[in-house]
Amino acid sequence: MRPTPWQRLDHLQPMLAGMLVVLGLMTVYSAHADWVRQLVWVVLGAAAYAAATAFDYRRFSSMAPWLYVAMLGLLLAVRLIGHTALGAQRWLSIGGFPLQPSELSKLMLVVVLAAFLSRLASPSWRGFVGALALVAPVAALILTQPDLGTTIVVVAVLVGMLFLAGARMVQLGALAACAVVVAPLLPHLLHGYQRRRLEIFLNPGSDPLGAGYNLLQARIAVGAGGLFGQGWLHGLQGALGFVPERATDFVFAVFAEQFGLLGSLLLLAMFGTLLIRLLRSAAVAPDRFGALIAGGVFVMILTQVVENVGMNIGLLPIAGISLPLISYGGSATVTTLAALGMVQSVMLRRPLLVQPRPLLSGNITLRAQA
Amino acid sequence: MIEPRWGIGRWIELGGIAPQPRWSARMVVAAGFLVLMIGVLTLKLAQLQVYDSSNLAALARANTVHRAVIEADRGIIYDRHGVALVQNTPVWNLQVEPADLPVDARLRTTELATLAGLVGQPEDRLEASLAVADPFTPTRTGSDLTESQVLAVNERLPDLPGASIAHHAVRTYIDPLTFGHVVGYVGPLDEADLERLSPLGYQPDEVVGKVGVEAGLESVLRGADGWADVVVDARGQIVRTIAMQPPVAGHDVYLTIDASLQKATLGALAAGLSRDGKTAGASVVIDPQSGEVLALVSLPGYNTNLFTHGISQAAYNGLLANPDRPLLNRAIAGQYAPGSTFKMVTAIAGLQEGKITPQTMLGCPAYLNYGGWVYHNWATYNLGYMNVAKALAVSCDTFFYQVAAMVGDVTLARYARAFGFGSAKDLEMPGVQAGLVPDRIWKQLTCGVPDLNSDSCRWTVGDTITFGIGQSALLTTPLNQAVYVAALANGGLVLEPTLVHLVRDASGRETATQQRRVLGTVPASADNLQAVREGMREEINRPYNMNYWFRAAGVPADGGGKTGTAQWGGSGLNTPTHAWFVFFAPFAQPDIAMSVFVEGGELSEVEAAPIGVDIMQFNLNNHAAIRAVTPVPPA
Repeated sequence: MRPTPWQRLDHLQPMLAGMLVVLGLMTVYSAHADWVRQLVWVVLGAAAYAAATAFDYRRFSSMAPWLYVAMLGLLLAVRLIGHTALGAQRWLSIGGFPLQPSELSKLMLVVVLAAFLSRLASPSWRGFVGALALVAPVAALILTQPDLGTTIVVVAVLVGMLFLAGARMVQLGALAACAVVVAPLLPHLLHGYQRRRLEIFLNPGSDPLGAGYNLLQARIAVGAGGLFGQGWLHGLQGALGFVPERATDFVFAVFAEQFGLLGSLLLLAMFGTLLIRLLRSAAVAPDRFGALIAGGVFVMILTQVVENVGMNIGLLPIAGISLPLISYGGSATVTTLAALGMVQSVMLRRPLLVQPRPLLSGNITLRAQA
Repeated sequence: MIEPRWGIGRWIELGGIAPQPRWSARMVVAAGFLVLMIGVLTLKLAQLQVYDSSNLAALARANTVHRAVIEADRGIIYDRHGVALVQNTPVWNLQVEPADLPVDARLRTTELATLAGLVGQPEDRLEASLAVADPFTPTRTGSDLTESQVLAVNERLPDLPGASIAHHAVRTYIDPLTFGHVVGYVGPLDEADLERLSPLGYQPDEVVGKVGVEAGLESVLRGADGWADVVVDARGQIVRTIAMQPPVAGHDVYLTIDASLQKATLGALAAGLSRDGKTAGASVVIDPQSGEVLALVSLPGYNTNLFTHGISQAAYNGLLANPDRPLLNRAIAGQYAPGSTFKMVTAIAGLQEGKITPQTMLGCPAYLNYGGWVYHNWATYNLGYMNVAKALAVSCDTFFYQVAAMVGDVTLARYARAFGFGSAKDLEMPGVQAGLVPDRIWKQLTCGVPDLNSDSCRWTVGDTITFGIGQSALLTTPLNQAVYVAALANGGLVLEPTLVHLVRDASGRETATQQRRVLGTVPASADNLQAVREGMREEINRPYNMNYWFRAAGVPADGGGKTGTAQWGGSGLNTPTHAWFVFFAPFAQPDIAMSVFVEGGELSEVEAAPIGVDIMQFNLNNHAAIRAVTPVPPA
């Protein structure tokens, strides 16, 4: 008996994603952002999810070089004709809709890297350096937008995918050594406000009304949530605008104020389960390319969740990273849902054993089918 | 189909038989990393949301919930018929909470410049006043805003974080030159006030009654401020109110003052003063049956509104430097010798102590000799023998020298005190002075010489006899004089004067009505009292003298009065004098008693008496209106 597509799908993953999207819409609404617009993005994202699921991911493998070129082209286009907002040049206007190519480029990079790494026969130094060479121009273009947050995600995706693809520990060690060398130079590479954020992270109380304001107000909001939260729409800090960027970067603080520790842990548990499901998708993927796509999406989402929640609660320095599926923002929402759809596409094309319903007689037959 | 290569584990061939996921070691490590990260985040979240939660929640409350004070309306002061003597005028000010101003230095400067432009204040002054202010409390800046300024600021408020408009009420006094000395004024708390009143919950930016009824009835007039806990957003705009305590307005006070009589009294006094080229004087009119003060006038007056609407230093210095001392309420705080108006006390003492009877005839020579000193009568010729009533009518000094010498200073002082001399009356305003009743003990205590038996400390018979005509060191106030003449009018009751007719709370309910308080009864028999009253009636009926004023005013000389020209500060023929007139009417059932005082007056019959007659005339013509029952305010 041939398994139906329905049986092949990962059912838990879209359910979790849907629940997170609903929580995201509720939080965006409570943060007085344009929730209708976000709903439109979610619908578009759902369409992207369905399309990515239907599309055979294996065809991306051959399209990878073109994808890479398109990605660099988009990032260069931002550089040349993009909009500037909040001191950074990040947006392209496509038919009146603002598009943030750096969001899209994260997913494209996952696909490109998966294609590149899946074709390597062994974890050679040539392959390793090749992967670095692929990512370097992308990271440089995004970092100089400037968009530190997405750069962090891009670098994390590179390292994570190298790790999952079986790069030698020596290679990863070399990467770490490079990081140690670059770290002292970082303050000079960063923009003024990024450097300031780093200083504030190291000493949050230094300027409570100035640059430390964001961090302090976000922590106050999280703490004010307490165990059970203030209740949906009853948060003060978030609703009254004390939390900055309350619908995007600091959406978690707004969420935590309203839903408390219980809600926050539930949210983390949902993200955790979703991420485990992504890893499991990698584990059941029919080929190395699919496994690396699932692994790459796992690293991408994990990085964003950890960095976003971490900076909201003062555990990590502030970098502009949205919380996947929760934060307000079109490009990010659509990209994340499309990424999940791509993993679903992998699931749809995996081998499956079908176990017919046990008959009353207890006569069980097993048949493996493609 | 796809052979497992490096890293990610062995792959199941399509169509293979094992559908179980194959977790490679690296995937397990990744899963472990995920669990570790979530664990770290959980720990930090637990720290924030459980351990630090109460602190951070308090910070959130401090951010968003602000307590706004709602000023209570101060009680209105009315006359006895409900004529408002003061009103609460709304005033708007710009207030700025420095902490809520933009953090960015350039934006901050721009906003301050905008604010300075809107309220018409130099920018550096605005900045300087904010620099010293508490950053977390709204600070009032600039002067009162006009209506158009309020509108202009209101329109821009959404773009001006930290700025808001404060509204409060300022006292505006009606006809302050007429009622100022009665109503007084309020002012900001000074250090002494703050120390005294902070236990009662006064805030440093509050006002408190400083002078007059405003000060005397502070506790009645002051309401209880309310508060509201409001939620404000990050820009300082009020979003909603979560709890509030409404303010309780102060009680309204209906004074015993009759506004029309007060105006008439002021008019009569002012006219009398200008007639004789004088500038200062006072008059107190009281109801001799109840002790209610119907009019209380001190000239010159001053504009009390200057004190509530902001007085310039120059204007204040001008008030202080004015030789007529407009800030002095002469009616309660001006202490002067009563002169001949005191003679009724000497007469009563002589009669009651048995030294004379109403029929006793004593001489009235041009002068008498006591202890080698000559004491003159006002007349340079002998007026012949006369009884006490006649002596009062012609105000014979030498007659009362003899009576005083017979009674003695200690007894005379006792009678003076029984009439209320030398005691500060409990009028509902601060600054009421007692005056002074001298006797031999007082002289010894205050002569300022160590040897109490020296000449300057010894009470002489000269002291006694001048005491008998209201001189010596005797001092009284126009208020005490009115109480004294009221006691003569009503048959011997010394009444506590009062300014409060009734008190109503904001809903119009009466919370207090004035009850007559009797301070004491004069130790005098009815016959003796009547003899003195007859003398007072005789005085005002003397033809070609006092009687002229009554005929000129067209009112019957039905009452009793006594003039007095009191010497002060020196001796001899050209000593400066004050003119007094004390008066009650009508004679049988007196309903008005008054004292009239003309500072520097030389001839009391000419300068002080006509003022009293004018007041009496007004009282007679408006008798019903003045005594009408206080109307109940419309609900």
